[in-house]
Amino acid sequence: MSRVRGWGRYARILAICWRAAVAEQLEYRADLAAKTVMSTFWLAWAALGVSVYFRFTGDIGGWTYGEVLVVVGLFFALNGVRQAFLEPNLEALGEGVRRGTLDHLLTRPVDSQVLVSLRHVDMHNLVDPVLGLVLVAIGVRLAGRGVTPGGVAAFLLLLLAALVLLYALVLCLMCLAVLLVGADELSTVSFSVIELSRFPVQAYRQPLQTLLVVVPVALLTTVPAQALLGRLDPIWLIASPLAATLALVAASVGWHRVLRRYTGASA
Amino acid sequence: MAETALVAYAGLVRSSAQVAVTYRGRMVLWVLSGFFPLLLMAVWLTVVAESGPPAGWTTADFLAYYAAAALVWHLSGQHIVWEWDQDMRSGDLSTKLLRPIHPFFQYAAADLGHRLVLLTGLLPAFAVAVALLPGLDYDLTPADAVLVVAAVVLAYVLSIVMASAVALAGFWTTQTTNLWMLWWGLGSFASGWVAPLELMPEWLRNLAVVLPFRSTLGFPVELVSGRLDGPEVAVGFLVGAVWTAGFALFYVVVWRRGIRRFQAVAG
Repeated sequence: MSRVRGWGRYARILAICWRAAVAEQLEYRADLAAKTVMSTFWLAWAALGVSVYFRFTGDIGGWTYGEVLVVVGLFFALNGVRQAFLEPNLEALGEGVRRGTLDHLLTRPVDSQVLVSLRHVDMHNLVDPVLGLVLVAIGVRLAGRGVTPGGVAAFLLLLLAALVLLYALVLCLMCLAVLLVGADELSTVSFSVIELSRFPVQAYRQPLQTLLVVVPVALLTTVPAQALLGRLDPIWLIASPLAATLALVAASVGWHRVLRRYTGASA
Repeated sequence: MAETALVAYAGLVRSSAQVAVTYRGRMVLWVLSGFFPLLLMAVWLTVVAESGPPAGWTTADFLAYYAAAALVWHLSGQHIVWEWDQDMRSGDLSTKLLRPIHPFFQYAAADLGHRLVLLTGLLPAFAVAVALLPGLDYDLTPADAVLVVAAVVLAYVLSIVMASAVALAGFWTTQTTNLWMLWWGLGSFASGWVAPLELMPEWLRNLAVVLPFRSTLGFPVELVSGRLDGPEVAVGFLVGAVWTAGFALFYVVVWRRGIRRFQAVAG
């Protein structure tokens, strides 16, 4: 076996894990079709639901209907990524801690964090990020401001930061799952946090609005949307990736500390 | 005969209540996940602050509506669809069929046990919120209170019967939960979940009066908020009762056909 080092090695391991998961799930094609129908339905549901507010006002916290749709689309995309890549692993980890199967993973000669947090993928939800980005495009059109190449570049950078932040959040929950033995309710927590990002933070009053910037729910959808719509405070171009990096480092350190305390449940 | 049946139901309700008490943590998180209506309310409060009361709805109106909606939402018995779906797939329905009580009543009794435990936690929390929050206030005479309780009971019975009727689709398809989500999602525009019906376009408002969905949420909430006059209250009860009877009849007819198709998967 050739010795591939560093990132390439992890990419190969994950590719093998994911290929197996995809092959298995492709056997249930009717479920996949149904999931696509349902995702489209919920996206339309969300877009229509928001429109009720705009029967009474032209903008909420400075966001017009089209602009809010950009945020709703990003929420949908991020939630899809969470459900496709993060949620299945959180669930599997809870199960692994309870039954002791986590121990087998820990004996493998790779960093446990990568295997534990990214091994599983649920491709049913892969359609959500695609649909979410379609709504983002529709929202940008409705907003009628057009986009600049710089805006798109900033958007992509901040979206990456949002994804890293989301990963760090779930990794923290994984630490909790090991400590609390089980993860059944923890996925509700990750959903609640992301649910808050359904609207731009300016749609909430104070002090909730400031709280959501600090927590930092604002970095998930509001800030990338602002970049795309060309109204970003440039400070976020530094603050957001910095916050994401810090969160990732903290969560990763936390994970390895928790593992040192973990005593295993298998015989 | 009737006495033994009552004893059996009481036992089912009690055992499910005990399960609910055992998994208190799960329940707390389930309640937290029901904060979605408060999120919708938060955005309405921003609209009130920025553009004035929409259709005359003040901050106090929104508080009263959404606090009640968050409470009534927890009393809707729609979890039953997932229970049915699970039992039909796994074959656990066979066990339920062996018992001398029709499965519908077994599910309903189990659900009621859960609700009663939830209520003992939710009602005091609701009372504290009403006492502490300035602006959150319900102006009810004893006669009104009786009507509100009746409307809530009707909402609960209708939602359980309706959910069970839809759940019977499981005899023919494995997509029952998706079917229910479509049904519920469409209905949520006419139930007062997406927004108070008074803020919806007039055609939708008129349609909602004759559809079943408003009886499961919007009707009791509007009643407790003191937004309905005498004839509207009478129509509300009548519509709810007719739909309950209609779904019950539908259930009985479909059950007879469906159960013949049921082939137990496991024992």
